[in-house]
Amino acid sequence: MMDIVDKIKGIEGAKVTVQRENRVFVDVSEDKLISTLYDMKLIGFHQLSVQNVIDRIKDNKFEIFYVLYSREYKINAIVRTWIDRENPVIKTADKIYPSAHTWEREISEMFGIKVDGNEDSGKPFILENWKDLPPMRKDFDSVKYSSEHFVFRHSEGENE
Amino acid sequence: MEKMTEEQVKSIANMLRKRSLWMIHYCTGCGAMELPPTMTSRYDMERFGLAPYVTSRQADILLITGYLNVKTLRRVITVYEQMLDPKYVIGFGSCTLNGGVYWDSYAVIKQLDRYIPADLYIAGCMPRPEAVISAFRHLMELIDSGKADGYKRYKRNLAYYKENQRKVLG
Repeated sequence: MMDIVDKIKGIEGAKVTVQRENRVFVDVSEDKLISTLYDMKLIGFHQLSVQNVIDRIKDNKFEIFYVLYSREYKINAIVRTWIDRENPVIKTADKIYPSAHTWEREISEMFGIKVDGNEDSGKPFILENWKDLPPMRKDFDSVKYSSEHFVFRHSEGENE
Repeated sequence: MEKMTEEQVKSIANMLRKRSLWMIHYCTGCGAMELPPTMTSRYDMERFGLAPYVTSRQADILLITGYLNVKTLRRVITVYEQMLDPKYVIGFGSCTLNGGVYWDSYAVIKQLDRYIPADLYIAGCMPRPEAVISAFRHLMELIDSGKADGYKRYKRNLAYYKENQRKVLG
């Protein structure tokens, strides 16, 4: 395992933490993200398992992470970066990992993150006629939205 | 021979109708899991004349298993309006009743009967096949006595249902 970790450590700008056996965190800055993903693919991480976002509302950041897997070394590497919550924009990774195309459509809808270079990122994907804040953001109040839009049944019998 | 009255014709039609029900099951949620044992040899709903069916045009019962969100409600309404009269709707599980565990979700509509008329609800999370069978038996009684009139209510209160549908579907 250690030789692959050494290879990851060789990538410029990557801060590597070995969390446990077969799981490595690779923290990069926003501008090094795409080049890091490219280098990761070159050293053997051919599969993008998950790409998603965590809303770090206390730090006013979005954490973007890519879970990569290497069949050769049987190891998961999680590439993470942090971007500002105001006007969030990331660059597309779909030229490196084609499956990122669909993940990016989902995160752009669920978090309101604009994806540069992905022409489908602004299009409706899962939600229909959504006009509110993107629903996976922490400051979106799901209970409030639900009680405003859908009527709760308080009494017995049909509401007629 | 004496001519039959309209009442008598209706009651005979209802008696025959309740013995041959075809069901289209709209499996949006986890409730679909309880249907295979209900249909197959363990509980065998065919002994009551019930059969699963694949198209909406030929079905009599619309069984909605599990939660409905805004996206699936649109399809449910299409399926319901494609079905021919007489048609009956059964809401399956607590999600169709009041939202169930998804009561605070941004997508899940909480009451089925605001959007299409439900003849019957099966409460529980999950209702077991015994409950499903007993609901079908109850629906048969309702049909026999002429009380399962959801499709008539839909026509009568179309403005009410359409307004509710428009509110959530836009």
